[in-house]
Amino acid sequence: MPAPDATPSILCIYGGERLGVGVRDEATDGEVVRAVLAGNVERYAVLVGRYRDRYARYAARMLGSRDAAEDAVQDALVRAFDHLAECRDPDKFAGWLFLILRNRCFAERRRRTREGRSLELADEAFAAPDRPDGNVEQAESARALEQALGHLTPQQRDVFVLKHVEGLLYEEIAQLTGATVASLKMRMHRAYDRLRELLKEHL
Amino acid sequence: MSPGYHPYHPLVKRLLDGELSLAELPPELRPEGEQALRLIGAVDRTPVLLSAALDARVMDTVRRHAASPARRAWRWFTAPRVVELRVRVRPWTVWAGALAAAAAVVVLINRAPVSPVPASVSGGPARAGSRDSVYVRFVLYAPGAKRVALAGTFNQWDQNAAPLVPAGTSGVWTTTLPVPVGQHQYAFVVDGKRWVADPAAPAVDDGFGRRNSVVAVTARGVRTL
Repeated sequence: MPAPDATPSILCIYGGERLGVGVRDEATDGEVVRAVLAGNVERYAVLVGRYRDRYARYAARMLGSRDAAEDAVQDALVRAFDHLAECRDPDKFAGWLFLILRNRCFAERRRRTREGRSLELADEAFAAPDRPDGNVEQAESARALEQALGHLTPQQRDVFVLKHVEGLLYEEIAQLTGATVASLKMRMHRAYDRLRELLKEHL
Repeated sequence: MSPGYHPYHPLVKRLLDGELSLAELPPELRPEGEQALRLIGAVDRTPVLLSAALDARVMDTVRRHAASPARRAWRWFTAPRVVELRVRVRPWTVWAGALAAAAAVVVLINRAPVSPVPASVSGGPARAGSRDSVYVRFVLYAPGAKRVALAGTFNQWDQNAAPLVPAGTSGVWTTTLPVPVGQHQYAFVVDGKRWVADPAAPAVDDGFGRRNSVVAVTARGVRTL
């Protein structure tokens, strides 16, 4: 199985120790959170800079659209600021922010389901990425898989994206989300079967 | 399921999970395994970059929220803070204070116990502490637990601040501690890793996938919401 790209995975910053690209600042997440809570609102820009893109791929794959992902990440960052005092462990701000974003993505999926809007129609441009290597067949397979992912349940899609897009182990996903490894495997295995059924024309 | 539906063989699913290699599959399953790997291999891992304007939009919004009086009041109410007290004392005042504290403990011990409201949370006005605090008793039934602690907005969610004590071998854990008047969210921490909402108190979604119990402490005791 090909290794994920070198893009930092979600788990890499779960502990809040490693700093991302963007706004350069040596302070740990915990130090920044405490500064913001002490009234220095402008320091929040450090956290925005660190995490604005880090979770974008997860949100985009969950919602099927870069625009929807941008809305979700923006909402999550604002919501995290509003509830910053409730962050139990400021040094684990990254994991806490991820859970906010994940809930936001689930809520968006539920809202679309209620409104009868399908995920795969959200952003045709995103669902048909052009491969930099110009491999048309590979691009077509990626497009078909992206469309099929829109038919998974949010829980199945969540574990699929975390495992096969972000490259996390089941144990790491369990640590991040609080779910058990057994339940994650069950969701994933059902997703495999569902994808096989959805993509039988392409296999 | 459609009539032509064929789930993957369990070994092929383990292949997709990365637990087996293609060579470890029985020969008859390898074509199915190769097909499954092609399916998953098509996943698009291209990084997604958001627009440069996002930072400014977020910061504009948080500055607006930070300036809102209602939100400021809420943050003041919920934000943990360190309070440093500096007191100059003469030696005789230490002895006087110790005597006063001992007297307060005697008064507290002689008080009739208050009835639990609800089963796991009960309390009455503090006699020994500040007039703005009320002693609240927290109870959790956790048989098999090695340690239980109480964390909440009243102790900055510190898992080490309020350990519960087991009542014999009954599986019941309790603690009584002064809690400032106001509305508080809390949860029990079992064995240092599992957060458990109080089953006997109302709970609210903290917005991040967990449930926090809620208790309202008034000068006249504990009130459930």
